[in-house]
Amino acid sequence: MPKKATPSTARPRATTPASDTPPAPSAELLRELTGKSHWLRRELFQMVMATKKGHIPSSFSCTELLVSLYYGGFLRHRKGEPHDPSRDRLIVSKGHAAMALYPILADIGFVPPGELANFTRKDALLRMYADPSIPGIDAISGSLGHGLGIASGMCLAAKQDGRDQRAFVVLGDSECYEGSVWESAYFAAHQGLDNLVAIVDRNGLAIMGRTEELCRIGSLEEKFRSFGWESLSIDGHSYGEILPALGRLGRTGGKPLAIIANTVKGKGISFMENRSEWHNRMPNEAEQRQAWLDLETNTIAN
Amino acid sequence: MAAKPKLMRDVLIQEFYARARKDPRLLFISADLGAESLDTFRADLPRQFIHPGICEQNMIDVAAGLASAGKTVFTYAMASFITARCYEQLKVALGAMNKPVTVVSVGVGLGYDDAGPTHYTTEDIACLRALPNIEVWTPCDEESTREITIECCERPAFRYLRLERPGLPNVYQGNFRSAMGAGFCEVAPGGDVLILSSGYMLHRALAVREQLRMEGLEVTVTDLFRIKPLASRDLAAYASRFSHVITLEEQCLAGGFGSAVAEALVDQGVAKPMLRLGLPDRYFFENGGRGHVLEKSGLGVSTLAQRITEFTAPAARSRNRLPSVPQSVSF
Repeated sequence: MPKKATPSTARPRATTPASDTPPAPSAELLRELTGKSHWLRRELFQMVMATKKGHIPSSFSCTELLVSLYYGGFLRHRKGEPHDPSRDRLIVSKGHAAMALYPILADIGFVPPGELANFTRKDALLRMYADPSIPGIDAISGSLGHGLGIASGMCLAAKQDGRDQRAFVVLGDSECYEGSVWESAYFAAHQGLDNLVAIVDRNGLAIMGRTEELCRIGSLEEKFRSFGWESLSIDGHSYGEILPALGRLGRTGGKPLAIIANTVKGKGISFMENRSEWHNRMPNEAEQRQAWLDLETNTIAN
Repeated sequence: MAAKPKLMRDVLIQEFYARARKDPRLLFISADLGAESLDTFRADLPRQFIHPGICEQNMIDVAAGLASAGKTVFTYAMASFITARCYEQLKVALGAMNKPVTVVSVGVGLGYDDAGPTHYTTEDIACLRALPNIEVWTPCDEESTREITIECCERPAFRYLRLERPGLPNVYQGNFRSAMGAGFCEVAPGGDVLILSSGYMLHRALAVREQLRMEGLEVTVTDLFRIKPLASRDLAAYASRFSHVITLEEQCLAGGFGSAVAEALVDQGVAKPMLRLGLPDRYFFENGGRGHVLEKSGLGVSTLAQRITEFTAPAARSRNRLPSVPQSVSF
């Protein structure tokens, strides 16, 4: 079946001395994370199919990004301790994909694993859009353009307190249409929030079509750089590129870090990939069989 | 001669400053609205003053993040811009996440004289009181401003604090703190007719009371300084002692101060002849300043006295005994 991943349009910029580059990820870690990709997509697909609610394509475009944060050692946390105030913060500001955190939160002991099967069910813990009543969720989502500002406040507080805490925000590329994102972008740069990382899930699709056709976004890498951020573009499905990009954290000379992750909406299910109409659609039985087949056999290139 | 009243913003900032000097967790964010007292604050406590640019949306989101990390945050801007401009941030980042941030607005109502519809804030009570978790407070003088500020510092909550642009004469004489829990306080006792108001218009209500007294009608003026949460039961019990209930506000009548009072009375089963006095349903472009716009809106002191006299006149009383439908007047 055709699997056309969005080609990576840029590589991490070689603007820093070799001695300052983060160490390359080990083959063992890459294998482990690839396994987590498969696991997370299958968990999410099951979770959504149980109640036919949720957003698969938005979640699948940032699967590797979230796995990298939690299992690549970047989002520092202690298993089973969601209320630890020193835990690093993560806001999935593109709220459609906040549900992608749920299997991870169950896996690290933040929410009971049994809750996954209750996703969106009456009075259950796990809702369509996440909010801080769910252990491990650091901000409410569902309305675009809030996460970067809230995370900036968290990062500023950590700096004022002299705490080594950082915050990661996963933004949608279409979310970057919101002006508040850019209000936050120059605030974070001015405040020197080098403990803040914005990861833009650049899947190129809004609900109604392709961003560059609907209302051109252009180069987000350049935009963030011009706002005073360290900015780079990567293939957002390649652990070989995601991990070194996240490794830039702490090596940005006082700047916040923007990672433009070129991704494929719906990555992993052939017929959903790059198709905006799947944003809100549920697969029928035949499509579900095909999707399962894809999720069983799919390999993410690293 | 009484000293010129201090600006409310200076009262608030000086009180906040005194506490911030002792507690580095207190942070003040201004979206480019200054004050003389703020210059001192910025110079002495630069780490506790944040200027986010003219960016109300980001200011509120950042405040939510800071409050999440245990900071006591005041956000500060012109009333018009810290409400409607960032309403969604107030709803989502402060309301839905229930973050203890004080939202200080300056120049509510028609406070920015001559500035026109962009600067007038005639819908903030209607809009803000619709948000769950918020508290809405309107001080009317130096003492009430100071006491509410202290409350916001010592017991942070999601509060919307409505400051006047000018300083206003003293109403309270050391008794505001004891009235705070109730949310309203009778400031000028009188006869059977009750006028409820707050902030700038409370002073107008007091002037109307003086004029009516000269004309032989005694009215009571009560400061309803906390419109949310409204002490509905206590307010209704209090209002039931009067023959007529009148609300006076510099807000749109739809959903505003008078609406909140009417809702409380209806919900508590208290039916009183009620007159809601407020601004007509339009934008205000005319030159001439606050007083002029209020005059043109039927809210001049003499006009108000006349309207209240007509409303409470014996001829009107039989009409008013009919099952109560809150009465509003449009122009």
